[in-house]
Amino acid sequence: MRPVRSALMLAVTAALSSTASIAATPLQLKSDVFVERQVVRSDGSNAVVLEKPNMVTPGDNLVFVVRYKNIGGSTANNFVVTNPLPPAVAFNGTSDDSEVVSIDGGKSWGNLDVLRITKADGKIRAAVRTDVTHIKWNLNQPLNAGAEGKLIFRGIVK
Amino acid sequence: MLVFATSQPAFAAGTIAGTDIQNIAEATYDGPSGPVTGQSNTVTIKVDELLNVTVASTDGGDVSTSPGFVGNVQKYRVTNTGNGDEAFALTANVASGGDDFDPTFQKMVIDTNNNGVYDPGVDADYIAGTNDQVISPDQSKIFFIITTTPSGVANLNRAEVSLTAVAVTGTGAAGTTFTGAGQGGGNAVVGLTTASGTASGFLAVQSVTVALTKTAVISDPFGGSRAVPGSIITYSIAANVTGSGTMNNLTITDPIPAGTAYEIGSITLQTAGLTDATDADAGNYNGTRVSVAAGNVPAGQTRTVTFKVKIQ
Repeated sequence: MRPVRSALMLAVTAALSSTASIAATPLQLKSDVFVERQVVRSDGSNAVVLEKPNMVTPGDNLVFVVRYKNIGGSTANNFVVTNPLPPAVAFNGTSDDSEVVSIDGGKSWGNLDVLRITKADGKIRAAVRTDVTHIKWNLNQPLNAGAEGKLIFRGIVK
Repeated sequence: MLVFATSQPAFAAGTIAGTDIQNIAEATYDGPSGPVTGQSNTVTIKVDELLNVTVASTDGGDVSTSPGFVGNVQKYRVTNTGNGDEAFALTANVASGGDDFDPTFQKMVIDTNNNGVYDPGVDADYIAGTNDQVISPDQSKIFFIITTTPSGVANLNRAEVSLTAVAVTGTGAAGTTFTGAGQGGGNAVVGLTTASGTASGFLAVQSVTVALTKTAVISDPFGGSRAVPGSIITYSIAANVTGSGTMNNLTITDPIPAGTAYEIGSITLQTAGLTDATDADAGNYNGTRVSVAAGNVPAGQTRTVTFKVKIQ
Protein backbone atom coordinates (compact mmCIF):
# COMPACT_ATOMS: atom_id res chain seq x y z
CA MET A 1 0.00 0.00 0.00
CA ARG A 2 1.19 3.49 -0.59
CA PRO A 3 -0.58 5.85 1.79
CA VAL A 4 0.79 9.07 3.24
CA ARG A 5 4.48 9.71 3.31
CA SER A 6 5.14 11.78 6.36
CA ALA A 7 7.65 14.55 6.79
CA LEU A 8 8.98 12.65 9.78
CA MET A 9 11.90 11.27 7.82
CA LEU A 10 13.74 14.59 7.96
CA ALA A 11 13.41 14.74 11.70
CA VAL A 12 14.64 11.18 11.96
CA THR A 13 17.81 11.90 10.07
CA ALA A 14 18.55 14.85 12.29
CA ALA A 15 18.04 12.84 15.43
CA LEU A 16 20.28 10.04 14.28
CA SER A 17 23.27 12.22 13.74
CA SER A 18 23.17 14.14 16.98
CA THR A 19 25.21 13.28 20.01
CA ALA A 20 23.67 14.77 23.09
CA SER A 21 25.69 15.72 26.07
CA ILE A 22 23.82 16.21 29.26
CA ALA A 23 23.19 19.89 29.55
CA ALA A 24 25.73 21.69 31.73
CA THR A 25 27.20 18.44 32.97
CA PRO A 26 30.46 16.78 32.14
CA LEU A 27 28.92 13.55 30.92
CA GLN A 28 28.41 12.48 27.35
CA LEU A 29 25.75 9.87 26.65
CA LYS A 30 25.17 8.57 23.15
CA SER A 31 22.61 6.07 21.98
CA ASP A 32 22.95 4.05 18.79
CA VAL A 33 20.76 1.35 17.33
CA PHE A 34 21.96 -1.19 14.82
CA VAL A 35 20.15 -3.93 12.98
CA GLU A 36 21.60 -7.31 12.13
CA ARG A 37 21.46 -8.06 8.44
CA GLN A 38 22.28 -11.32 6.75
CA VAL A 39 24.63 -10.70 3.86
CA VAL A 40 26.13 -13.07 1.35
CA ARG A 41 29.88 -12.72 1.00
CA SER A 42 31.55 -12.84 -2.41
CA ASP A 43 32.56 -16.44 -1.69
CA GLY A 44 28.93 -17.37 -1.20
CA SER A 45 29.01 -17.79 2.55
CA ASN A 46 26.61 -15.96 4.82
CA ALA A 47 27.61 -13.33 7.28
CA VAL A 48 25.80 -11.19 9.79
CA VAL A 49 26.62 -7.51 9.69
CA LEU A 50 25.40 -4.60 11.76
CA GLU A 51 23.86 -1.72 9.90
CA LYS A 52 22.57 1.61 11.06
CA PRO A 53 19.00 1.36 9.84
CA ASN A 54 16.42 3.92 9.02
CA MET A 55 13.89 1.17 8.49
CA VAL A 56 13.27 -2.17 10.09
CA THR A 57 10.59 -4.84 9.86
CA PRO A 58 9.00 -7.00 12.55
CA GLY A 59 11.33 -9.81 13.55
CA ASP A 60 14.50 -7.83 12.88
CA ASN A 61 17.23 -8.21 15.50
CA LEU A 62 18.35 -4.89 16.92
CA VAL A 63 21.48 -4.08 18.88
CA PHE A 64 21.30 -1.04 21.13
CA VAL A 65 24.58 0.57 22.14
CA VAL A 66 24.77 3.24 24.82
CA ARG A 67 28.16 4.96 25.03
CA TYR A 68 29.05 7.06 28.04
CA LYS A 69 32.06 9.21 28.79
CA ASN A 70 32.96 11.49 31.65
CA ILE A 71 34.23 14.53 29.80
CA GLY A 72 34.42 16.66 32.91
CA GLY A 73 37.24 17.09 35.35
CA SER A 74 35.78 15.35 38.34
CA THR A 75 34.64 11.87 39.28
CA ALA A 76 31.00 10.86 38.87
CA ASN A 77 29.74 8.51 41.56
CA ASN A 78 26.71 6.20 41.63
CA PHE A 79 26.56 6.26 37.88
CA VAL A 80 23.35 4.69 36.63
CA VAL A 81 22.15 4.31 33.02
CA THR A 82 18.53 3.53 32.33
CA ASN A 83 17.09 2.65 28.92
CA PRO A 84 13.31 2.44 28.67
CA LEU A 85 12.52 -0.12 26.00
CA PRO A 86 10.62 1.31 23.01
CA PRO A 87 7.11 -0.22 22.99
CA ALA A 88 7.66 -1.89 19.62
CA VAL A 89 10.79 -3.70 20.79
CA ALA A 90 11.03 -6.94 22.75
CA PHE A 91 14.08 -7.27 24.99
CA ASN A 92 16.45 -9.98 23.83
CA GLY A 93 19.17 -9.95 26.44
CA THR A 94 22.58 -8.45 26.95
CA SER A 95 25.98 -9.88 26.26
CA ASP A 96 27.06 -10.02 29.91
CA ASP A 97 23.89 -10.03 32.05
CA SER A 98 25.24 -7.02 33.94
CA GLU A 99 21.86 -5.32 33.91
CA VAL A 100 18.82 -5.26 36.07
CA VAL A 101 15.43 -4.97 34.44
CA SER A 102 11.94 -3.77 35.23
CA ILE A 103 8.74 -5.38 34.04
CA ASP A 104 6.42 -2.77 35.51
CA GLY A 105 7.44 0.44 33.82
CA GLY A 106 10.42 1.18 36.04
CA LYS A 107 8.77 0.87 39.44
CA SER A 108 10.64 -2.23 40.61
CA TRP A 109 13.89 -3.75 39.46
CA GLY A 110 15.74 -7.03 39.59
CA ASN A 111 17.42 -9.73 37.62
CA LEU A 112 14.97 -11.14 35.11
CA ASP A 113 15.12 -14.63 36.62
CA VAL A 114 13.76 -13.48 39.97
CA LEU A 115 10.92 -11.32 38.63
CA ARG A 116 7.40 -12.70 38.64
CA ILE A 117 4.24 -11.73 36.77
CA THR A 118 0.73 -12.14 38.12
CA LYS A 119 -1.49 -13.34 35.32
CA ALA A 120 -5.10 -12.32 34.79
CA ASP A 121 -6.30 -15.52 36.46
CA GLY A 122 -4.26 -14.76 39.61
CA LYS A 123 -1.58 -17.34 38.93
CA ILE A 124 2.04 -16.31 39.05
CA ARG A 125 4.58 -17.04 36.37
CA ALA A 126 8.24 -16.26 35.85
CA ALA A 127 8.89 -13.09 33.88
CA VAL A 128 10.32 -13.52 30.40
CA ARG A 129 12.27 -11.18 28.17
CA THR A 130 9.20 -9.93 26.36
CA ASP A 131 7.85 -8.61 29.68
CA VAL A 132 10.77 -6.24 30.13
CA THR A 133 9.94 -2.53 30.00
CA HIS A 134 13.19 -0.95 31.25
CA ILE A 135 16.84 -1.91 31.46
CA LYS A 136 19.22 -0.40 33.99
CA TRP A 137 22.93 -0.63 34.68
CA ASN A 138 24.34 0.37 38.06
CA LEU A 139 28.04 0.98 37.61
CA ASN A 140 29.45 0.02 40.94
CA GLN A 141 32.62 1.99 40.60
CA PRO A 142 33.22 5.73 40.33
CA LEU A 143 33.48 7.04 36.81
CA ASN A 144 36.72 8.97 36.77
CA ALA A 145 37.36 12.01 34.65
CA GLY A 146 37.93 10.87 31.06
CA ALA A 147 36.62 7.37 31.69
CA GLU A 148 34.25 5.90 29.17
CA GLY A 149 32.44 2.72 28.36
CA LYS A 150 29.53 1.25 26.53
CA LEU A 151 26.50 -0.80 27.38
CA ILE A 152 24.89 -3.14 24.90
CA PHE A 153 21.55 -4.85 24.79
CA ARG A 154 19.63 -6.66 22.15
CA GLY A 155 16.02 -6.39 21.06
CA ILE A 156 13.64 -7.74 18.45
CA VAL A 157 11.17 -5.61 16.54
CA LYS A 158 7.74 -6.82 17.61
CA MET B 1 31.91 -8.55 21.64
CA LEU B 2 28.37 -9.26 20.62
CA VAL B 3 26.94 -12.71 20.73
CA PHE B 4 24.68 -13.40 17.79
CA ALA B 5 21.80 -15.55 18.87
CA THR B 6 19.83 -17.40 16.24
CA SER B 7 17.26 -15.13 14.75
CA GLN B 8 13.78 -15.41 16.14
CA PRO B 9 10.60 -15.93 14.17
CA ALA B 10 8.74 -12.81 13.19
CA PHE B 11 5.72 -11.95 15.26
CA ALA B 12 2.43 -12.84 13.62
CA ALA B 13 1.78 -9.38 12.29
CA GLY B 14 3.86 -7.32 14.62
CA THR B 15 4.25 -3.63 15.03
CA ILE B 16 2.08 -1.73 12.57
CA ALA B 17 3.97 -0.44 9.55
CA GLY B 18 4.94 3.21 9.85
CA THR B 19 5.39 3.09 13.63
CA ASP B 20 8.46 4.93 14.89
CA ILE B 21 10.75 3.14 17.32
CA GLN B 22 12.44 5.78 19.44
CA ASN B 23 15.23 5.02 21.87
CA ILE B 24 16.58 7.30 24.54
CA ALA B 25 18.99 6.30 27.31
CA GLU B 26 19.01 8.12 30.62
CA ALA B 27 21.87 8.51 33.08
CA THR B 28 22.05 9.63 36.67
CA TYR B 29 25.13 10.11 38.80
CA ASP B 30 26.38 12.06 41.72
CA GLY B 31 28.49 14.97 40.57
CA PRO B 32 30.47 17.43 42.67
CA SER B 33 27.35 19.48 43.34
CA GLY B 34 24.79 16.72 43.79
CA PRO B 35 22.74 14.25 41.76
CA VAL B 36 22.59 14.86 38.03
CA THR B 37 20.17 13.39 35.49
CA GLY B 38 20.44 13.51 31.72
CA GLN B 39 19.34 11.94 28.52
CA SER B 40 21.05 10.71 25.41
CA ASN B 41 20.14 11.60 21.87
CA THR B 42 16.99 10.03 20.48
CA VAL B 43 17.38 7.35 17.86
CA THR B 44 14.33 6.92 15.67
CA ILE B 45 13.74 4.02 13.35
CA LYS B 46 10.63 3.55 11.29
CA VAL B 47 8.99 0.15 11.03
CA ASP B 48 8.63 -0.90 7.41
CA GLU B 49 5.69 -2.76 5.99
CA LEU B 50 6.28 -6.48 5.90
CA LEU B 51 4.33 -8.22 3.12
CA ASN B 52 3.06 -11.60 4.25
CA VAL B 53 -0.03 -13.63 3.46
CA THR B 54 -1.36 -17.09 4.15
CA VAL B 55 -4.25 -18.90 2.47
CA ALA B 56 -6.20 -21.84 3.89
CA SER B 57 -8.95 -24.05 2.52
CA THR B 58 -11.70 -24.02 5.13
CA ASP B 59 -14.14 -26.62 3.81
CA GLY B 60 -12.99 -29.20 6.35
CA GLY B 61 -12.74 -31.93 3.73
CA ASP B 62 -13.79 -32.79 0.21
CA VAL B 63 -16.77 -30.90 -1.16
CA SER B 64 -19.29 -33.32 -2.64
CA THR B 65 -20.27 -32.88 -6.24
CA SER B 66 -21.96 -34.90 -8.94
CA PRO B 67 -21.65 -35.21 -12.72
CA GLY B 68 -22.78 -32.00 -14.39
CA PHE B 69 -23.38 -30.17 -11.13
CA VAL B 70 -23.47 -26.39 -11.54
CA GLY B 71 -22.39 -24.23 -8.61
CA ASN B 72 -19.81 -26.09 -6.55
CA VAL B 73 -18.85 -23.75 -3.68
CA GLN B 74 -15.39 -23.99 -2.12
CA LYS B 75 -14.28 -21.73 0.70
CA TYR B 76 -10.86 -20.21 1.31
CA ARG B 77 -9.52 -17.89 3.99
CA VAL B 78 -6.89 -15.27 3.11
CA THR B 79 -5.03 -13.89 6.14
CA ASN B 80 -2.78 -10.83 6.12
CA THR B 81 0.14 -11.93 8.28
CA GLY B 82 2.06 -8.76 7.46
CA ASN B 83 1.99 -5.57 9.51
CA GLY B 84 0.27 -3.12 7.19
CA ASP B 85 -3.07 -2.76 5.43
CA GLU B 86 -2.57 -4.59 2.18
CA ALA B 87 -4.66 -5.48 -0.87
CA PHE B 88 -4.34 -8.97 -2.27
CA ALA B 89 -4.86 -10.13 -5.85
CA LEU B 90 -6.46 -13.55 -6.15
CA THR B 91 -6.34 -16.23 -8.80
CA ALA B 92 -8.17 -19.54 -8.93
CA ASN B 93 -6.62 -22.63 -10.49
CA VAL B 94 -9.00 -25.40 -11.51
CA ALA B 95 -6.57 -27.19 -13.85
CA SER B 96 -4.27 -28.85 -11.36
CA GLY B 97 -2.22 -31.84 -12.42
CA GLY B 98 -2.46 -35.14 -10.64
CA ASP B 99 -6.17 -35.06 -9.95
CA ASP B 100 -8.99 -36.85 -11.75
CA PHE B 101 -10.83 -34.03 -13.49
CA ASP B 102 -10.85 -30.28 -13.98
CA PRO B 103 -14.05 -28.45 -13.10
CA THR B 104 -15.04 -25.39 -15.12
CA PHE B 105 -14.33 -22.11 -13.34
CA GLN B 106 -17.40 -19.90 -13.00
CA LYS B 107 -16.33 -17.10 -10.70
CA MET B 108 -14.72 -16.09 -7.48
CA VAL B 109 -16.88 -14.43 -4.85
CA ILE B 110 -16.07 -12.21 -1.85
CA ASP B 111 -17.79 -13.04 1.43
CA THR B 112 -19.08 -9.48 1.44
CA ASN B 113 -21.20 -9.85 4.56
CA ASN B 114 -18.50 -11.82 6.40
CA ASN B 115 -20.81 -14.62 7.45
CA GLY B 116 -18.64 -17.41 6.10
CA VAL B 117 -21.41 -18.66 3.80
CA TYR B 118 -21.85 -18.04 0.07
CA ASP B 119 -24.96 -15.91 -0.35
CA PRO B 120 -25.78 -15.60 -4.07
CA GLY B 121 -26.90 -12.09 -4.91
CA VAL B 122 -25.48 -10.71 -1.66
CA ASP B 123 -21.81 -11.62 -1.85
CA ALA B 124 -20.07 -9.69 -4.62
CA ASP B 125 -18.21 -11.31 -7.49
CA TYR B 126 -14.45 -10.83 -7.26
CA ILE B 127 -12.80 -9.21 -10.26
CA ALA B 128 -9.01 -9.05 -10.08
CA GLY B 129 -7.66 -5.52 -10.19
CA THR B 130 -11.13 -4.06 -9.71
CA ASN B 131 -12.17 -5.02 -6.20
CA ASP B 132 -9.04 -6.49 -4.65
CA GLN B 133 -9.81 -6.60 -0.96
CA VAL B 134 -7.69 -4.62 1.52
CA ILE B 135 -7.09 -6.73 4.61
CA SER B 136 -5.77 -5.28 7.87
CA PRO B 137 -2.82 -6.86 9.70
CA ASP B 138 -3.73 -10.18 11.35
CA GLN B 139 -7.19 -10.06 9.79
CA SER B 140 -8.76 -12.53 7.35
CA LYS B 141 -11.25 -12.48 4.53
CA ILE B 142 -13.23 -15.40 3.16
CA PHE B 143 -13.52 -16.02 -0.59
CA PHE B 144 -15.47 -18.62 -2.55
CA ILE B 145 -14.56 -20.35 -5.79
CA ILE B 146 -17.63 -21.37 -7.77
CA THR B 147 -17.24 -24.15 -10.36
CA THR B 148 -19.16 -26.56 -12.54
CA THR B 149 -18.43 -30.28 -12.61
CA PRO B 150 -18.21 -31.83 -16.10
CA SER B 151 -20.89 -34.39 -16.90
CA GLY B 152 -18.45 -37.17 -17.80
CA VAL B 153 -16.82 -37.65 -14.40
CA ALA B 154 -16.90 -41.01 -12.61
CA ASN B 155 -17.85 -41.87 -9.10
CA LEU B 156 -15.22 -40.87 -6.47
CA ASN B 157 -13.22 -38.76 -8.97
CA ARG B 158 -11.54 -35.84 -7.21
CA ALA B 159 -10.56 -32.39 -8.46
CA GLU B 160 -8.06 -30.02 -6.88
CA VAL B 161 -9.06 -26.36 -6.86
CA SER B 162 -6.57 -23.86 -5.48
CA LEU B 163 -6.67 -20.19 -4.60
CA THR B 164 -3.56 -18.04 -4.73
CA ALA B 165 -3.32 -14.62 -3.06
CA VAL B 166 -0.45 -12.21 -3.73
CA ALA B 167 0.24 -8.82 -2.19
CA VAL B 168 -0.67 -6.09 -4.67
CA THR B 169 2.36 -4.06 -3.58
CA GLY B 170 4.60 -6.83 -4.85
CA THR B 171 6.03 -10.28 -4.28
CA GLY B 172 9.42 -11.89 -4.55
CA ALA B 173 12.07 -13.57 -2.49
CA ALA B 174 12.01 -12.75 1.21
CA GLY B 175 13.78 -9.45 1.72
CA THR B 176 12.80 -7.96 -1.63
CA THR B 177 12.20 -4.27 -0.97
CA PHE B 178 9.78 -1.88 -2.66
CA THR B 179 11.12 1.53 -1.81
CA GLY B 180 8.58 3.95 -0.41
CA ALA B 181 5.70 1.55 -1.11
CA GLY B 182 5.04 0.67 2.51
CA GLN B 183 2.20 1.88 4.64
CA GLY B 184 3.16 4.96 6.63
CA GLY B 185 5.81 6.14 4.20
CA GLY B 186 8.41 3.45 4.70
CA ASN B 187 9.45 0.68 2.40
CA ALA B 188 7.51 -2.50 1.79
CA VAL B 189 9.61 -5.59 2.39
CA VAL B 190 8.64 -9.09 1.29
CA GLY B 191 8.46 -11.45 4.26
CA LEU B 192 9.11 -15.16 4.61
CA THR B 193 5.83 -16.06 2.88
CA THR B 194 7.18 -14.34 -0.27
CA ALA B 195 3.99 -12.24 -0.06
CA SER B 196 2.18 -15.05 -1.83
CA GLY B 197 0.02 -17.84 -0.49
CA THR B 198 -1.81 -20.80 -2.04
CA ALA B 199 -4.17 -23.39 -0.65
CA SER B 200 -6.01 -26.26 -2.28
CA GLY B 201 -9.44 -27.70 -1.69
CA PHE B 202 -10.94 -30.75 -3.34
CA LEU B 203 -14.18 -31.65 -5.06
CA ALA B 204 -15.18 -35.32 -4.85
CA VAL B 205 -17.81 -36.99 -7.01
CA GLN B 206 -20.16 -38.91 -4.77
CA SER B 207 -21.81 -42.08 -6.11
CA VAL B 208 -25.56 -41.88 -6.30
CA THR B 209 -27.94 -44.05 -8.27
CA VAL B 210 -31.65 -43.90 -8.67
CA ALA B 211 -33.96 -46.88 -9.13
CA LEU B 212 -37.47 -46.31 -10.52
CA THR B 213 -40.27 -48.65 -9.51
CA LYS B 214 -43.61 -48.27 -11.27
CA THR B 215 -46.81 -49.79 -9.98
CA ALA B 216 -50.42 -49.49 -11.16
CA VAL B 217 -53.73 -49.75 -9.34
CA ILE B 218 -56.90 -50.13 -11.41
CA SER B 219 -60.35 -49.24 -10.24
CA ASP B 220 -63.19 -49.99 -12.63
CA PRO B 221 -66.48 -48.09 -12.75
CA PHE B 222 -68.17 -50.92 -10.89
CA GLY B 223 -66.09 -50.83 -7.73
CA GLY B 224 -63.76 -53.59 -8.86
CA SER B 225 -60.26 -53.69 -10.32
CA ARG B 226 -60.84 -54.86 -13.88
CA ALA B 227 -59.24 -53.12 -16.84
CA VAL B 228 -62.23 -52.07 -18.88
CA PRO B 229 -63.02 -48.87 -20.75
CA GLY B 230 -63.75 -46.23 -18.16
CA SER B 231 -61.46 -47.80 -15.53
CA ILE B 232 -59.08 -45.42 -13.81
CA ILE B 233 -55.43 -46.51 -13.57
CA THR B 234 -53.39 -44.84 -10.83
CA TYR B 235 -49.68 -45.09 -11.69
CA SER B 236 -47.16 -44.73 -8.90
CA ILE B 237 -43.48 -44.17 -9.70
CA ALA B 238 -41.08 -44.45 -6.77
CA ALA B 239 -37.59 -43.05 -7.34
CA ASN B 240 -35.27 -44.54 -4.71
CA VAL B 241 -31.89 -42.81 -4.42
CA THR B 242 -29.06 -44.97 -3.04
CA GLY B 243 -25.32 -44.67 -2.53
CA SER B 244 -23.56 -41.64 -1.06
CA GLY B 245 -24.06 -37.98 -1.79
CA THR B 246 -27.03 -36.40 -3.49
CA MET B 247 -28.89 -36.98 -6.75
CA ASN B 248 -29.20 -33.49 -8.15
CA ASN B 249 -32.06 -32.19 -10.29
CA LEU B 250 -33.90 -35.52 -10.33
CA THR B 251 -36.75 -35.35 -12.86
CA ILE B 252 -39.29 -38.13 -13.19
CA THR B 253 -41.05 -38.32 -16.58
CA ASP B 254 -43.58 -40.86 -17.82
CA PRO B 255 -45.52 -40.97 -21.14
CA ILE B 256 -49.25 -41.45 -21.09
CA PRO B 257 -49.88 -45.05 -22.35
CA ALA B 258 -51.65 -45.52 -25.68
CA GLY B 259 -55.33 -46.20 -25.29
CA THR B 260 -55.61 -44.11 -22.15
CA ALA B 261 -56.38 -40.45 -21.45
CA TYR B 262 -54.68 -38.41 -18.78
CA GLU B 263 -56.94 -37.41 -15.90
CA ILE B 264 -56.59 -33.65 -15.60
CA GLY B 265 -54.98 -32.39 -12.39
CA SER B 266 -54.03 -35.80 -11.08
CA ILE B 267 -50.25 -35.42 -10.59
CA THR B 268 -48.91 -35.73 -7.03
CA LEU B 269 -45.42 -35.65 -5.58
CA GLN B 270 -45.08 -37.15 -2.09
CA THR B 271 -48.92 -37.14 -2.01
CA ALA B 272 -49.08 -33.35 -2.54
CA GLY B 273 -51.11 -32.30 -5.59
CA LEU B 274 -49.42 -30.47 -8.45
CA THR B 275 -50.88 -28.45 -11.29
CA ASP B 276 -50.64 -29.54 -14.94
CA ALA B 277 -49.31 -26.18 -16.13
CA THR B 278 -45.60 -25.51 -16.60
CA ASP B 279 -45.30 -23.10 -13.69
CA ALA B 280 -43.74 -22.61 -10.29
CA ASP B 281 -44.69 -26.03 -8.97
CA ALA B 282 -42.67 -29.09 -9.82
CA GLY B 283 -45.18 -30.93 -12.07
CA ASN B 284 -46.56 -30.50 -15.56
CA TYR B 285 -48.50 -32.38 -18.24
CA ASN B 286 -47.76 -31.42 -21.85
CA GLY B 287 -50.37 -33.53 -23.68
CA THR B 288 -48.21 -36.62 -24.09
CA ARG B 289 -46.43 -37.11 -20.81
CA VAL B 290 -46.25 -36.05 -17.17
CA SER B 291 -43.02 -34.68 -15.74
CA VAL B 292 -42.09 -33.89 -12.13
CA ALA B 293 -38.92 -32.11 -11.06
CA ALA B 294 -38.13 -33.70 -7.72
CA GLY B 295 -35.08 -31.53 -7.04
CA ASN B 296 -31.93 -32.61 -5.22
CA VAL B 297 -32.53 -35.88 -3.44
CA PRO B 298 -30.02 -37.16 -0.85
CA ALA B 299 -29.07 -40.83 -0.94
CA GLY B 300 -31.38 -42.94 1.19
CA GLN B 301 -34.52 -41.03 0.27
CA THR B 302 -37.38 -41.81 -2.09
CA ARG B 303 -39.59 -39.49 -4.14
CA THR B 304 -42.93 -40.87 -5.23
CA VAL B 305 -44.94 -39.45 -8.12
CA THR B 306 -48.50 -40.54 -8.94
CA PHE B 307 -50.89 -39.68 -11.76
CA LYS B 308 -54.10 -41.10 -13.15
CA VAL B 309 -55.30 -42.13 -16.61
CA LYS B 310 -58.63 -43.41 -17.86
CA ILE B 311 -58.85 -46.41 -20.16
CA GLN B 312 -60.54 -45.38 -23.45
